[in-house]
Amino acid sequence: MAKALRVKFQPPLALTLLILGFFVFLPMLSAFEYSIRTPLTGGYGWTHYIWAVTEDDFFHYILRSMWLAGVTVLITLFVLVPTLTWLHLSNSKVRGLIDGISLLPLVIPVVAFAVGAQIAFPEFVQNTVLELPFLYFVLALPYAYRSLDIGLNSIPLKTITEAARSAGANWMRTITTVIVPVIRGSVMATIALTFALSLGEYTLTVLLHWDTFPTWVTYVAQDNILGAIAISMMSLIIPFLILTVITLFVPERSTQGRK
Amino acid sequence: MSSKSLSLRNISKRFGTVNALDNFNLEVGVGELVALLGPSGCGKTTALRVVAGLEHQDSGTVLVADKNISDVPAHKRNMGMVFQAYSLFPNLTVEENVAFGLQMRKVTKTVRLKKAHELLDLVGLDSQSKRFTHQLSGGQQQRVALARALAFEPEILLLDEPLSALDAQVRVNLREEIRRLQLSLGTTTLFVTHDQEEAMAISDRVGVMSHGKLEQIDTPDALYNKPATSFVASFVGTMNRIPTQLSDGHVQLFGKMIPALKNGNESGNVIALVRPESIVIKSTDEDANAKVLTRLFMGASSNIVCQTKDGTVVQSLMSSDKSGDLHPGSTVKLEVTNKEVLVSNA
Ligand SMILES: Nc1ncnc2c1ncn2[C@@H]1O[C@H](COP(=O)(O)OP(=O)(O)O)[C@@H](O)[C@H]1O
Ligand SMILES: [Mg+2]
Repeated sequence: MAKALRVKFQPPLALTLLILGFFVFLPMLSAFEYSIRTPLTGGYGWTHYIWAVTEDDFFHYILRSMWLAGVTVLITLFVLVPTLTWLHLSNSKVRGLIDGISLLPLVIPVVAFAVGAQIAFPEFVQNTVLELPFLYFVLALPYAYRSLDIGLNSIPLKTITEAARSAGANWMRTITTVIVPVIRGSVMATIALTFALSLGEYTLTVLLHWDTFPTWVTYVAQDNILGAIAISMMSLIIPFLILTVITLFVPERSTQGRK
Repeated sequence: MSSKSLSLRNISKRFGTVNALDNFNLEVGVGELVALLGPSGCGKTTALRVVAGLEHQDSGTVLVADKNISDVPAHKRNMGMVFQAYSLFPNLTVEENVAFGLQMRKVTKTVRLKKAHELLDLVGLDSQSKRFTHQLSGGQQQRVALARALAFEPEILLLDEPLSALDAQVRVNLREEIRRLQLSLGTTTLFVTHDQEEAMAISDRVGVMSHGKLEQIDTPDALYNKPATSFVASFVGTMNRIPTQLSDGHVQLFGKMIPALKNGNESGNVIALVRPESIVIKSTDEDANAKVLTRLFMGASSNIVCQTKDGTVVQSLMSSDKSGDLHPGSTVKLEVTNKEVLVSNA
């Protein structure tokens, strides 16, 4: 840390930090400051936070959202890791097509998507909340796909895969014991991105009439704006803590310096 | 010993319009080391990958100990493979890399680590067992790859130009080490290389390939002394190509009639194929038939390049003490020491 602070003044870095500071950290700090005000007594306190965690629905909704986000992560990894591995190994022309398709969720308006889903999906799909993880998977696809794609591009995938197979690993074990650990960084980034995106998704969820943590926060905000801010602040910190814990529990392996 | 014999029968493999393997046949005996030698693109790697199950032939059969394994998937073939490119798992330590094959075979951790250490000891890297692979030199990485390929006692060892990315000195040391290990373990081995010196140095037999076919397979000595085709003759070792005439089964070389060895129906204008060491040079003023262009001193022997009166450039390899008086410009008489000489069509 001390070393990083000694870095000389870098105009581009300074500009980035300035923009981030003004558009991200300043509003967040202000929101935080606002959420710990106690208008009745004046000064600051944790009133709204205490109110939030004692609210029955708080844990109900945050757990539900985290559960849905977890399922989304699993879907993403189970679908994307084998698919991308295959695309990278086969040199198939399909790869360009899939690359393009994976970007589509960025340009499809969520409202149109939600309306279309309600028209197209059969009842039994619309009746289960499990439709959400699949839809979140689609929304996170452009990011998850790119993150894994970069990881697979940065390793000698073909040789490593063939080495594993000729040493006796079937496809399943090749992916789980060799490929995933080797692109661990990309996999972690994919998990973080997908988890965060699923946890915070609001528009699609509301349009499909489901209740999750973000929709509940909006609902609460109608009566208690300070409480809603407090809840949002916590919802920012909780996934952060979870991801930190995940990162700490995955054993650290040095792969630096590899060509 | 778990080593098995290997046969490839009538294997063909096309990539688009390229015939990578064209009715390819090969037999490797138990415990034998056979090298596949040939120019880049002749199908060596494809042959090896078909054996490993990493590529599937369009037609033909692969047999291990006379059992057809053509439909056995790669991970069940029990073949150790060493690749040209560094292929170690970067997330694993050296010993974990070597133990990987045993781990896949559900061998307990203690047993597989013990075996890994045995092999690391054999390749002289036991002291590095806890390191990660990026901390090793290129030669060390290929040693680990070799140990990894041998740790699960494969039926066949496959080496695809394992030395080509290494420095000359390391290359020479490691090829001898491969041979020593292969002999002591008795592993049936197929070794692919484009380096003829490497192939000749360590193999029981060398198969010379061209355009997806085996041109000739024989011991290094036989290949060198009795090449079956002019392709083999020029690819293995250095060959002088001297234009001359064939009549009555003899060719005239530097004024001497020598019996010709034909591979086909050569006649009339032909090329005589003569090794540099079969040409002796005598310093002379009378009946000189050539003149020295350069003399390359290489220690015990020297490489002397001459030009004959009719313009042909000829290389000779002579011991240095016998060629000390030869200098660029010297007029000399060339002689061929062969009892018979190989010819090919001009
Ligand atoms: N996966 C592939 N796709 C298309 N062509 C290939 C493929 N693998 C090999 N080839 C072609 O097949 C021929 C033989 O290749 P290879 O076996 O790698 O030769 P070598 O190892 O002797 O250099 C070459 O012309 C090569 O371009
Ligand atoms: Mg090759």
